[in-house]
Amino acid sequence: MPLSTFHRQVLGTCAATLLTGGFSTPLLAADITINMAAPDWPPTRFFKEHFDKTYKSPAGHNTTLEMDFIPWPSFYERVAASLTSGEQKYQMIVTDSQWLGSFVEGGYYLDLTEKIKADPELIAIMEDLHPALVSAYSTYPHKSRKQLEEAGSAIAPDTHYYGFPQFPDTYVTFYRKDIFCHEGEAAAFKEQYDATLPCTYEDWQDVDWERYAQIGKFLKRKKGEQLAGETLTDDFYGISYQAGKGYDFSSMQANAFIWQHGGDIWDETNAPEGQAEGVVNSDVAVEAFEHYLSMIPDMPPVAQTGQMDIFVIQDLYMQGKVASTIDWVGLGEPVLDPASSKVHDKSAFGPAPGLRKEDGSIDRTGNIGGQPFVLTTWNSDEVVDEALNVVKWWLDPDTQIEAVSNGGQSGLMSVMADPSYNDLRPWNRAHVEMIDWQKDVWHIPLFFEMLTQQQEEFDKAITGQKSARDALDAVAEFQQELLEDDGFIE
Amino acid sequence: MTDVAAVHGHAKSGFWARLTAPENRGPLLVAPAIITLFVMNIFPLLWSFGLSFFNYRANRQNVPEFVGLKNFERVLTDEKIWDRFQTTAIIVGSSVTLQLIIGFSLAMLFAKHFPMRRIIMMLVLTPMMLSFVSVGVFFKLYYEPTFGLLSWVVNLFSSEPFALLSSSTGALIGIIFADAWMWSPFVMLLVLAGLVSVPKYLYEAAEIDRVSSWRRFVTITLPYIKSLLLLAILFRTIETFKIFDIIYIITEGGPGSSTESIAVNIYRMAFQNFRTSRSGALAYIILFIVIVLTNLYLYSVNRRAHEETL
Repeated sequence: MPLSTFHRQVLGTCAATLLTGGFSTPLLAADITINMAAPDWPPTRFFKEHFDKTYKSPAGHNTTLEMDFIPWPSFYERVAASLTSGEQKYQMIVTDSQWLGSFVEGGYYLDLTEKIKADPELIAIMEDLHPALVSAYSTYPHKSRKQLEEAGSAIAPDTHYYGFPQFPDTYVTFYRKDIFCHEGEAAAFKEQYDATLPCTYEDWQDVDWERYAQIGKFLKRKKGEQLAGETLTDDFYGISYQAGKGYDFSSMQANAFIWQHGGDIWDETNAPEGQAEGVVNSDVAVEAFEHYLSMIPDMPPVAQTGQMDIFVIQDLYMQGKVASTIDWVGLGEPVLDPASSKVHDKSAFGPAPGLRKEDGSIDRTGNIGGQPFVLTTWNSDEVVDEALNVVKWWLDPDTQIEAVSNGGQSGLMSVMADPSYNDLRPWNRAHVEMIDWQKDVWHIPLFFEMLTQQQEEFDKAITGQKSARDALDAVAEFQQELLEDDGFIE
Repeated sequence: MTDVAAVHGHAKSGFWARLTAPENRGPLLVAPAIITLFVMNIFPLLWSFGLSFFNYRANRQNVPEFVGLKNFERVLTDEKIWDRFQTTAIIVGSSVTLQLIIGFSLAMLFAKHFPMRRIIMMLVLTPMMLSFVSVGVFFKLYYEPTFGLLSWVVNLFSSEPFALLSSSTGALIGIIFADAWMWSPFVMLLVLAGLVSVPKYLYEAAEIDRVSSWRRFVTITLPYIKSLLLLAILFRTIETFKIFDIIYIITEGGPGSSTESIAVNIYRMAFQNFRTSRSGALAYIILFIVIVLTNLYLYSVNRRAHEETL
């Protein structure tokens, strides 16, 4: 019996469906390339590696991820140059949260609010993300964690969302077990300060800035002196934290001191009423900044040059020149690598110290690190939807566990609550403890101008050219004028 | 059809013939360079010059607003900018002087023949062949107080680590020394070219007349190397005026802002703070200064040439 035209069409369609892989795959599968700008470090390298191994587009597209791994020191400039030149090269960007304002106002970062509202999977992700991360990484104009929590839903009204966590980072304490757990050193410390030299994680939970300063004085030794039963061949130091002029390499730590003491930086959520003068240079802020500066003389001498950035302290620690450092979790993986670290088998991790309050508890408020990724505005709907599929893939609990096992971190509360989480990497317990304390610096387009001037003034104080009071007065005056000029302060 | 094709072909060959005619070959050969220069250099220059009269920031979507000379006025009345000019002047003055002294001394040394002269000269020339980034990183590590070579040497005598970059003066010295280390060989090369061009018979005659070595230098050597020395001063002044890479890598302008040159300031203004128009205005002021310096040099060279013809 000859086939009718209708039968031929039905058979043809079935054959085509079978040939293209079944009913789950649409007939219009496309080749999609997502170009992503990313800083060159292990968390983003893993992202690419894992994507190539495991990602399958739920839409059936043939999706390729091309990542531009840009060295950290030039990352901002390279991204900024690409965006402002109009080359429209990137579909996704791993961005510092503070750049949101600058590049949202420039029209480069895509507002994802409506996409999130329309997608139950994305809403579920937002509900599961730690609120400190949603506040810092996603909202512009910036909404504080308190404002978001008061809204009572994952998607707060009158709030615009832009980013999802690619790598949520906090700073923790890296320390040498062979020194801090040495019986002789512990006994000597006990005798000198009538206190415990922290050895276990639980000991570090009780370390406040006063104790950390004592450690700095106690473990500062000259070449030829004894340390943990060995004669030193070089000068040695006990403590270190970031105090560098570049980028935000002193503000991140100094802000922590200011918040812990009860002071504040200029708060963009209070604009336009919130002032800079009187807040930034308040007596409490000055006292906090003096506290930050007070420990620097006991740190490695590079601190006195204003060049002790996050990479320098990591390096000094890995080269065995300092017994402990307060640095980002993202820089922890090389510390455990025998190829790059002399202390790979002697290191442990604890929470960062904080300020002890009157009730005996410790305030560890800190400045959040890490980066969200965002989408750019010039992509077709098809590319945007596929980029959001990549976001969902990355924030899937299985992918997140894999990322954490390879030195990454998760921002999903369900993943962090997993009983196995703390054991996946040695710093995870500290990260989970620290993330609840995180706040963020400014997100407005004037961010970089404010940061550069603040870093310069902080550097003058760090290198002894100015007092803490004079430095903060200069910062406050500059910010007041700049923010008034741009309408952020009335 | 054939006729039309033939006419068309004839017209084409006529156009080609005209284009490649001997009198047009010069402009034709120069055209690619002129076009490239216009697209890559002149057009951006004119465009940024135009922008310097507007209020424009590359990271904002606002339409540029014409503000006349306001950006120039703001830049020239900004104390911070004058402070950066002052820092730049200190670096230029000190570094170029040091380069002249070292470069001149090396040239005098290499003007004489001694064993392994060529090999040693090659080694001495190496710094100017290195990239700025390499030199910057090298000196950053060299000055590093915990494990740097300089601190290690000082530590042998003082038993304290030495942080050269911890003070404004120390950091300036560090920058000047690094720049002089890199560029003294360039001055040496130019001066050496002048020294070898001095006719030997003049020295022989001076020796017969028992002329002192200082007088020999002033009356014979200096006149021959004067123009090349001026050229070296001009080149190095202009280049050092724009110093960026070494400062950015070694100190990032610190401590505080004590080593921040005007070029580093422009970079921050343009690419970090996105004050696009204002940074354009400042860049044009610097271009103006460089042009004035160049003309001063050309004036002095022309005057000398005029004196010689008289």
